[in-house]
Amino acid sequence: MTNVLTQENLNHSSQVAAHEHEHDEAGNSMFGFIVFLLSESVIFLSFFAGYIIYKTTTSDWLPVGVEGLEVREPAINTVILVSSSFVIYIAERYLHKENLWGFRFFWLLTMAMGSYFLYGQAVEWQSLQFGFSSGVFGGTFYLLTGFHGLHVFTGVLLQGIMLMRSFLPGNYEKGQFGVEATSLFWHFVDVIWIVLFILIYIWQ
Amino acid sequence: MKFKTILNLVAIAITLGAISIGIGQLSYSWLPPQASVESQLIDNLFSFLVTLGTFIFLGVTGTVMYSILFHRAGRYDLSDGPPIEGNVTLEIVWTAIPFLLVLWIAVYSYQTYMEMSIRHPMEMAHMPMAKAIAPAYAEPMDEAVEPMTNIEVEAKQWAWVFHYPEKNITSTELHLPVDRRAHLILRSLDVIHGFYIPAFRVKQDIIPQKNMDFEFTPIRTGKYRLRDSQYSGTYFAAMQADVVVESKEDYQQWLEEAAKRTPSAAPNEAASEYALREEKSAESAWVTVVPASEPIVNYHP
Amino acid sequence: MTQITPEILTNKTPESPPNPPNWLRYFSFSTDHKVIGIQYTVTAFFFFLVAGIFAMIIRGELITPEADLVDRTVYNALFTMHGTIMLFGWMFPVLAGLANYLVPLMIGARDMAFPRLNAAAFWMVPFFGMMFILSFLVPGGPAQAGWWSYPPVSIQNPSGQWLNGEFLWLLAVALSGVSSIMGAVNIVTTIVRMRCPGMGWFKMPIFVWTVLAAQIIQLFGLPALTAGAIMLLCDLSFGTTFFDPAQGGDPVLFQHFFWFYSHPAVYVMILPVFGIFSEIFPVYARKPLFGYKVVAVSSLIIVALSAVVWVHHMFASGTPDWMRMLFMISTMLISVPTGIKVFAWVATIWGGKLRLDSAMLFALGGLINFVFSGITGIMLSSTPVDIHVNNTYFVVGHFHYVIYGAIVFGLYAAIYHWFPKMTGKMYYEGLGKLHFWLTFIGTSLNFIPMHPLGLMGMPRRVASYDPEFAFWNFIASIGAFILGMSIIPFLVNMVASWLSGPSAPDNPWRAIGLEWLVSSPPDVENFEEIPIVISEPYTYGTSEPLTENMGG
Ligand code: HEA
Ligand code: HEA
Ligand code: CUA
Ligand SMILES: [Cu+2]
Repeated sequence: MTNVLTQENLNHSSQVAAHEHEHDEAGNSMFGFIVFLLSESVIFLSFFAGYIIYKTTTSDWLPVGVEGLEVREPAINTVILVSSSFVIYIAERYLHKENLWGFRFFWLLTMAMGSYFLYGQAVEWQSLQFGFSSGVFGGTFYLLTGFHGLHVFTGVLLQGIMLMRSFLPGNYEKGQFGVEATSLFWHFVDVIWIVLFILIYIWQ
Repeated sequence: MKFKTILNLVAIAITLGAISIGIGQLSYSWLPPQASVESQLIDNLFSFLVTLGTFIFLGVTGTVMYSILFHRAGRYDLSDGPPIEGNVTLEIVWTAIPFLLVLWIAVYSYQTYMEMSIRHPMEMAHMPMAKAIAPAYAEPMDEAVEPMTNIEVEAKQWAWVFHYPEKNITSTELHLPVDRRAHLILRSLDVIHGFYIPAFRVKQDIIPQKNMDFEFTPIRTGKYRLRDSQYSGTYFAAMQADVVVESKEDYQQWLEEAAKRTPSAAPNEAASEYALREEKSAESAWVTVVPASEPIVNYHP
Repeated sequence: MTQITPEILTNKTPESPPNPPNWLRYFSFSTDHKVIGIQYTVTAFFFFLVAGIFAMIIRGELITPEADLVDRTVYNALFTMHGTIMLFGWMFPVLAGLANYLVPLMIGARDMAFPRLNAAAFWMVPFFGMMFILSFLVPGGPAQAGWWSYPPVSIQNPSGQWLNGEFLWLLAVALSGVSSIMGAVNIVTTIVRMRCPGMGWFKMPIFVWTVLAAQIIQLFGLPALTAGAIMLLCDLSFGTTFFDPAQGGDPVLFQHFFWFYSHPAVYVMILPVFGIFSEIFPVYARKPLFGYKVVAVSSLIIVALSAVVWVHHMFASGTPDWMRMLFMISTMLISVPTGIKVFAWVATIWGGKLRLDSAMLFALGGLINFVFSGITGIMLSSTPVDIHVNNTYFVVGHFHYVIYGAIVFGLYAAIYHWFPKMTGKMYYEGLGKLHFWLTFIGTSLNFIPMHPLGLMGMPRRVASYDPEFAFWNFIASIGAFILGMSIIPFLVNMVASWLSGPSAPDNPWRAIGLEWLVSSPPDVENFEEIPIVISEPYTYGTSEPLTENMGG
């Protein structure tokens, strides 16, 4: 989906196309959104950096009575979230082909997968014997997964809005920026999760 | 360039250089007395920076002032100046020169730093003392022979307490023998404090839960001021102590005498100010962290 | 958290709304970048006065050695809120305001890329600004941990209240961050994508370059501060122990988060001022900017370097040797790209036809002050020297000299220079000169004495001090009061001129630039016809026109 952005909007020189720029608002929005995501990623990078520092320097890393984290369930969750990135891509392809029902089906499927991920995480949180205030380990664990979960939740919310919008007649005549941005956001949330999963669950 | 211009430039550079060196020498007088080996090293570096800085500052502002004085447009002169857009040689020169100057400053600072051998505070925390004295750095004075003075420094909101393990005594005044390397272990009981003696030019933040090793060498007898340098809350400003540097004999005598005294409460400014404030129940003040009560020590002034 | 839904971004430029040409629009949710620019500037100035009054009380307390004017808790609250409001309520908003006003005009655009986002970002400023001020009313008073808010002091919360000053402080700082990120996204998008035909990168005015550079810093730096602030808030209010050493936390990590942003933030502030200098010197010296391209590119070098020097604020924090030495050298290197700019300005002025109007006076004063403060900066970057003067008044002197001496001077220069454009009125030159001299004298008297004080070992953030420091403190306080008075001719000038000054021509300074080709003040749409740029920005002394269709 980002091809719209790179080929048509980013590269053409301002000399030629400035008049179009005035009206190329979707292009501006997409550019702005990418800038925003880059910036947002630094928050996660900071949290990751903090996590790595804590993990490598804290003497009693795990709270008493905690052995480590269960990996199986989160791994399943991970597979689902990562797959949803492909599903949302398919949904977008359908939209490009102007097959609205195909789009809606796969879009809804993405939402379902995202929601399942959130559900899985809630179940995991319930089963843990440590809390937010259980030392630096508990703090970073809930901070990272919670902050990421908030992003997943936002993503699902955006997807819901886009789904509803698809029922407005003529909604996509002015372009598909909303859908493209939501999808890009979803990929972003996905990539963050992969790093997070490796840091928290694999590197124990 | 014409010969005359070059001559002029050289003359200006020499004048500026002379002024800069003068101010560089003067800069020693802006600093407190040099009471430690470290202070001599740092002052030399500072004087060098002042000299260089003065030269750059005068060079730049002199040129600007010259323009202001002699390149003014006449009242009715609406013409433009010469359309000079740049000069590659000049631009390369004024990139290269600052770069070289920076290298010079950096190397000089690095050398000074190495000589001071202010070491990574945690580096030796777990090593036995004997190892810590190993002269991996330039040894000031003759302390390779003399053992270091070991003192434990305890900082809390808002008091300093010094513990001398040799004689197992405590004091709220820091006594140090002259010309002998002092080795301190800094500890904080609550927040981050800063150990700072301006006359010694040494400073170290004290991170709670850590034993911070710290060293310096006093070389001048007298009374100096120890100040908290890392903001630590309400009575931060009052968290000061006296540092007495004295001859070896006086120091030994002081230790002995202090050991004989029974511990008593030392006056503490934060605690007494707080008590006064509570008495008046001042309305124009906000709640504060309550100061620790007066420390009980063998010796206090 | 900085979440912007795509919805906000998609909003359209309203098609030339019928605008009531009266003062009321400055109080409305206008989406015109020019209105927003002025809204930002005026709001920021209000906070400048508030924080300035705090500074007056601080200097009043420090005029004598004893802590006699206010209680120590009040003093601590005052310097904390002085620093915080000055930076988050005055510095960032006023710069955002100038960028808002000037960038679209300078690049030949009709508005910013996202006008509604722009308005939303602005309206957060009075909101979080009032939060800072209202925090004086909560039990326990406002935050008292300094503008760095270092734990553990910042999480001690003696009042025991859930709604405490530190809590509000963190919230307001986070909101300020959200607002700045929204602004940065907008400005970067505008500069990258909305330039008029012909305006290639190397035809952009330097001000636009520096604003772009500064906003890039906001984008990569602010999130780190946000991360640190979130963790600190969790420690303060939700029982975590990230920074609490007593429970295994690491207080120094917060310092890294904080300075990773707050060092680059100083270049967020100074870079646009470098841009202002670069705009003003050519106009009042009637010469092209010397070495335009190098000056432009050096901003980006500063951006890159600014990201790798933050530990110079932590030389005394117990950082390891290698870190100290590495960051010492990286810090010193900043003087190279900065020097390039300084020398370029000096060369621009050299041999020109100088006209010392208020704007030029402030720019020249700012340049001189900047060189001075840059040199004290280099002294600080030398680790052994910094060990001595860290957390003393030497540092306070250094940064007020940059912030007041260079940045505020630059801002005044900008206001005088573009005042006719913004308001359509001319200001009174005599008052402008009076303002300059009072400011210059006040600045010198106020901030020079701080250097000897620091060298003698006077710590900062103290309400009382030893009598040996009394002399220089007295001078500094007198200087501060002069500085306080210096605001009066400025305010009188601005208000009187705006209300009843002589009306300004389109281009009173015979300056070159797209903003000078339109009427004063510009129409809502800025340009009737989008300009087509054909020459480099500073062609003084030649007769090359700037644009194909509008002359210049
Ligand atoms: C806002 C603007 C601003 C700017 C532009 C700067 C610019 C610089 N600052 Fe400053 N600084 C602050 C604002 C700023 N600073 C603030 C707010 C603080 C304290 C915060 C707090 O603690 O609360 C601070 C603190 C601070 C410290 C920490 C001190 C301490 O706490 O112990 C240090 C240390 O390295 C430092 C260094 C520098 C350097 C090297 C520069 C350089 O960028 C300067 C470069 C410029 C020049 C050097 C002059 C021009 C160059 C030439 C003419 C070329 C030739 C020169 C040479 C070869 C030397 N600054
Ligand atoms: C934009 C940044 C900015 C600006 C412009 C200023 C401006 C001033 N600052 Fe600021 N200052 C900081 C940022 C800034 N400061 C920061 C970040 C700190 C560190 C805080 C910390 O340690 O946490 C600090 C700390 C600080 C201290 C150290 C406090 C301490 O460590 O104990 C002092 C002390 O003198 C001081 C003084 C002043 C003065 C006199 C001005 C003057 O220039 C102000 C001039 C303006 C006015 C005076 C307002 C307008 C006038 C009127 C409303 C009418 C007239 C009034 C009278 C004459 C009474 N400041
Ligand atoms: Cu006591 Cu810092
Ligand atoms: Cu810095």
